[in-house]
Amino acid sequence: MNPSWRRWLPTLIVFAIFLSPFLLISPKTYITLTISGLAMGMLLFLVSSGFSLIFGFLSVLNLAHGALFTWGAYIGFTAFTLINKWTGWGGPNSMILNIVIFLLALIVAGLLVAVLGIITERLVIRPVYGSHLFQIFITVGAMIVMEELIRIVWGPNDEVMPVPFNFMGSWDLFDVVVSKYPLIAIVVGLILYIVIFMILRKTKIGTIVRAGVENPEMVQVMGHNIYRYFTGVFAAGSALAAIGGGMWATFVKSIHPAMGGEIIVFALIVAIIGGLGSMTGSVVGALMVGLSYNYVAYLVPKAALGITMLLLVIILSIRPTGLFPEGT
Amino acid sequence: MNPVQLFRLEEKEARFRSPSFFLRILLLAFFVFTPFLFRSFEVLDVVLKIIIFAALVASYDVILGYTGIVSLGHVLYFGIGCYFVGIFMGKLGWTSYGHLALSFLIAIVISGILSVLIGLFSLRIRAIFFAMVTLAFMEFTFILSSQWRSVTGGDDGISFKLPGILAIDFSFGKILGVEFSGRIISYYLILLLSLFLFLLMLRFVHSPVGRVLQSIRDNEQRSIALGYRTYLFQVIGSSFASCVAAVTGGCFAIWVRYVSPDSSLSVSIMLDVLLMVIVGGMGTLYGGIFGAAFLMVTRAFLPKLQVLIASLLPGIPFAIRLSERWLFYFGLLFIIIVYFFPKGIVGTAQEILARRKRE
Repeated sequence: MNPSWRRWLPTLIVFAIFLSPFLLISPKTYITLTISGLAMGMLLFLVSSGFSLIFGFLSVLNLAHGALFTWGAYIGFTAFTLINKWTGWGGPNSMILNIVIFLLALIVAGLLVAVLGIITERLVIRPVYGSHLFQIFITVGAMIVMEELIRIVWGPNDEVMPVPFNFMGSWDLFDVVVSKYPLIAIVVGLILYIVIFMILRKTKIGTIVRAGVENPEMVQVMGHNIYRYFTGVFAAGSALAAIGGGMWATFVKSIHPAMGGEIIVFALIVAIIGGLGSMTGSVVGALMVGLSYNYVAYLVPKAALGITMLLLVIILSIRPTGLFPEGT
Repeated sequence: MNPVQLFRLEEKEARFRSPSFFLRILLLAFFVFTPFLFRSFEVLDVVLKIIIFAALVASYDVILGYTGIVSLGHVLYFGIGCYFVGIFMGKLGWTSYGHLALSFLIAIVISGILSVLIGLFSLRIRAIFFAMVTLAFMEFTFILSSQWRSVTGGDDGISFKLPGILAIDFSFGKILGVEFSGRIISYYLILLLSLFLFLLMLRFVHSPVGRVLQSIRDNEQRSIALGYRTYLFQVIGSSFASCVAAVTGGCFAIWVRYVSPDSSLSVSIMLDVLLMVIVGGMGTLYGGIFGAAFLMVTRAFLPKLQVLIASLLPGIPFAIRLSERWLFYFGLLFIIIVYFFPKGIVGTAQEILARRKRE
């Protein structure tokens, strides 16, 4: 295979997945499915980008990421309920107030979980840097503890996630039914992607982090305290997971303590497909998983998870290091 | 004679005189006489689960402690073993000894093939990929087993009867005042199988292949330099352990006579296995027995402890909720053990003994 062809491979695969269902699905359904697939992809991106960046930079396989996601969903739930009780912005009034309360809940969740992430990194993960085996054990232990803490604080049952009034229902664009919330999720996800991308590309911190993904020792040699950046990246990854959790909960309208364990598998697959430590890889991988999952879920409902695994197997066999291995 | 041969000769001579040898015999005797010592079914159940999980944890230890790669989906093969026995006995209704043996055989073959495939395309790149890919596959199989209702019975699972002398209503008569029902016979069958598996694993880790695996664990670069294809050896190690896990799964199904996604394939069982291997000690094989015993016994006594706490602190819902979440304490224990006793019970004991011997 020549290199120039290889460079376009990810794009080709995405477009192939994107267009293939045209043969089987009517255009209107196709658009509806594509939008929900893109929304799912953007939400998966939020979870897996943090996971992937933490692995790339800290080389820690953070299995507690799913628990941070669940914490984000629960804190978002509580924040939304409290703010709504206090101000009533989540009710049937203007769209802008709905968006404000939604974003407020997400910001609260992101900030609190970032603090939780800092505590986890400092207390639990820092003593075992360098040993993959112990990191896996420690993060599994942290996952158990955090998930059980949720059961202790909020109780073990499912809760109904409140959704801002104007986010429900759908718009009718040229006879195509477009649900409102997936569009909002896509927009928020895209904005966050651009923000992350800009931070990584244009700021000094981003340059250091990208250099750290490639070669952490060299960054230390250049006189940067890499452990401080480790904490920062872990906190940022946790915040992204939490925002993803809050948005996912609004998407599926319910939360339960084990939801993180289910999503972490998707995050793993996306991170492997995209290439560990790569932002662009995360977004491409997440969109691929989200789209293929939704198309197959419509055509053959029971094979939906199977297609994700198939995607993983195919990508791993043709490109063992993921689609974007360079750490971009 | 070279030093290695001398060392082995010395080891062989001391084999029947060492205190740990008597300890092992004592342990085996305890398992053999359990049905005579304790008449209650609950105790027998706990002891048998210790036996099965000791074998399962030991097979996990072959991957983790001896090969040095982390699998997070080892329970997948346990579940395959469970489900093949369940499907053959329950769904298809083929209750005969031949079909029981056949179901074990198919489970072993399928586990072997699957683990070789997973190993081939995930160990090739980085050992850490193996952890992620196995976890993803286990989750996939879990969802498959809970949704493919026509074959696996969905979330309800399959309950089934066993052939001939293993059936519950079979009775052999009384020996030493204990009625030899199908339960007791299956207890001994499982004990025998687990013992066989355990000896097989001991043989495996001390075989030339096992020594290569340990060398890969200790220094992969050096093993590559010595000319070993480390990646193939890792695949061999993990697929051997997977086949053993499939047999333990079949044993579990024989004892419980019921399979369901939650009881045989879920992540919580994987967490149990991880906890057992950490408590017992990695790279020891025997650690599994202690780890399993610790977890099973604590879990059997926990409900009583909860009742006690609830009676001591009436009317405080938060305290009761705290006492209910025993997994929380296991998680804390897990972290503490990894920090302070990374070698587990058996590993720490071995270290102390070795230090004493040197002095």
